[in-house]
Amino acid sequence: MRSEIKVGLLFLLTIGLVAAFAFYLGAFNPFSNANKLTVMYNFAGGIEVGSPVRVMGIKVGRVTDIRFDPMGKDAKGREVKLKVDITVDKKAWKTVRQDSRFFINLAGVIGEKFIEISPGSLESDTLKPGQSVRGEDPPRVDQLISQSYGLAGKVMEFVESNETSVIDTINMMNSLVSNLNKTLKLVDKTTQNRDARKLIKNVSAISDDVAFFTAELRGPEGQKTVKLVNELIHRLKGLDAKTIKTFLQEEGIKAKLF
Amino acid sequence: MVNECNWGLCHHGLFGDVVEVVVSKPNPFWRLVFEPVLEFLSLVAKTLVGIVQPPYRVKDLVKQLDFVIWQSAPVVIFSVSFAAIVTIIEASFHMKLVIKNDALVPGFAALLILRELGAVVSALLITSRVGAGLAAEVGTMKVTEQIDALRMLGIQPIKYLVVPRFLACVIGGFVLSIIANLVCLYAAMLVSQVQLGYSPGSFIVAMRSFVSFQDLIFAAIKGACFGAVIPLFSCFYGFRCESGADGVGSATTKSVVSTSVAIIVLDFILGYIFSYMY
Repeated sequence: MRSEIKVGLLFLLTIGLVAAFAFYLGAFNPFSNANKLTVMYNFAGGIEVGSPVRVMGIKVGRVTDIRFDPMGKDAKGREVKLKVDITVDKKAWKTVRQDSRFFINLAGVIGEKFIEISPGSLESDTLKPGQSVRGEDPPRVDQLISQSYGLAGKVMEFVESNETSVIDTINMMNSLVSNLNKTLKLVDKTTQNRDARKLIKNVSAISDDVAFFTAELRGPEGQKTVKLVNELIHRLKGLDAKTIKTFLQEEGIKAKLF
Repeated sequence: MVNECNWGLCHHGLFGDVVEVVVSKPNPFWRLVFEPVLEFLSLVAKTLVGIVQPPYRVKDLVKQLDFVIWQSAPVVIFSVSFAAIVTIIEASFHMKLVIKNDALVPGFAALLILRELGAVVSALLITSRVGAGLAAEVGTMKVTEQIDALRMLGIQPIKYLVVPRFLACVIGGFVLSIIANLVCLYAAMLVSQVQLGYSPGSFIVAMRSFVSFQDLIFAAIKGACFGAVIPLFSCFYGFRCESGADGVGSATTKSVVSTSVAIIVLDFILGYIFSYMY
């Protein structure tokens, strides 16, 4: 084989290998079958160019560019200063809809960051390629820590400024608890007492009896009796002292008669 | 002049006047330290000038490329593949020893291969193959006075001998380090599948999280720089070769040793510079 051909072949092999390497790393893809989207964030939590994009946990694209836009605003006119360009494979395109949400997540043992797209509902429209959408800013751990630090400081401040009243409150609560404890102990002791037990037993028996009577009262016989008593009371309504006196006098007379 | 300049650099080179001043000093320190350094710098400068100056010897270049790339490729590929296999197995052994888990091995072994192993091992192999041959060839030409004959014919020995070899080695280093690296990665992928049980897919996923495309570019640049060092040192010692078989042997040994040392030092310097570019 001639030297020229051999050298040429090796050059071609090298170019092919470089292209294959770039393809596998995702740096270059001539058969791209993906649509572009721009996701806007105010905080992107460590996303980098090349970070994967997933829909329902399956990789469907990657971050192609990250841009700073100081004048950026979303559809509702709120300030959003970071634009992240992503690609989404056409096979997953129809699951990404207007109401899809774009989260930033963390995965794997090495803490790889990725964009997770939640699938949209069928009622909402599909997105247009190249459209800008608002992403969900991930929670900022640093902010959380600084806020809880501030909260702890305020609690400390409150305790320090109201030290005497706080101590009083604590003392009061302390005595309250000890009193409660004493009371409970007393109750416990009482239930152990023989007389008290007898008393409780009797009360229990009485309540059983009462229950029995009331059960009888609820029956048809009882109802009848109650009705009769009711009637009687109504009939007795017209009675007053004068009438009773007269009645008694009459009775007396009658009595005298017997 | 106390010591005659070996191959006519003193009167014609960019550093000609300086060399003449230096070599005319009777002090042995000057002769032992500065003369070789200035001769080397003169060789570098003449080679760089020779690259841009016509006539361009394309046929010579292709012949040298055949020698440097095509004929070295099997040796380089074979050796780096084994180096990659050893890297994977050793890394897995160490990771299992330390954290009882070798899930990250494919990723960082690939990074190690790309950043260091592929370029350096292939450059050292090219040195032992091409550099030694070059030093012996030029040394023999020097001893048998062929270089003087070239000069008598009006042909500049550096333009005729060094420039095509220099270009071939720079291009060869670039190309071979790419081929070596990617074959190395392929070997690493195979061994991690057979030995560690990671599928090629998971190897590529682990590799992606560590390796970026610029790693390959930096490795290729390193390969080109190492390639540039090889013919310069070899030809330098070849031109300084003393007469006899001993002289040729000693020139070859010196050239291989100093090229290997230079490659390792250059690797450190380039690695340091590239670490600022990430």
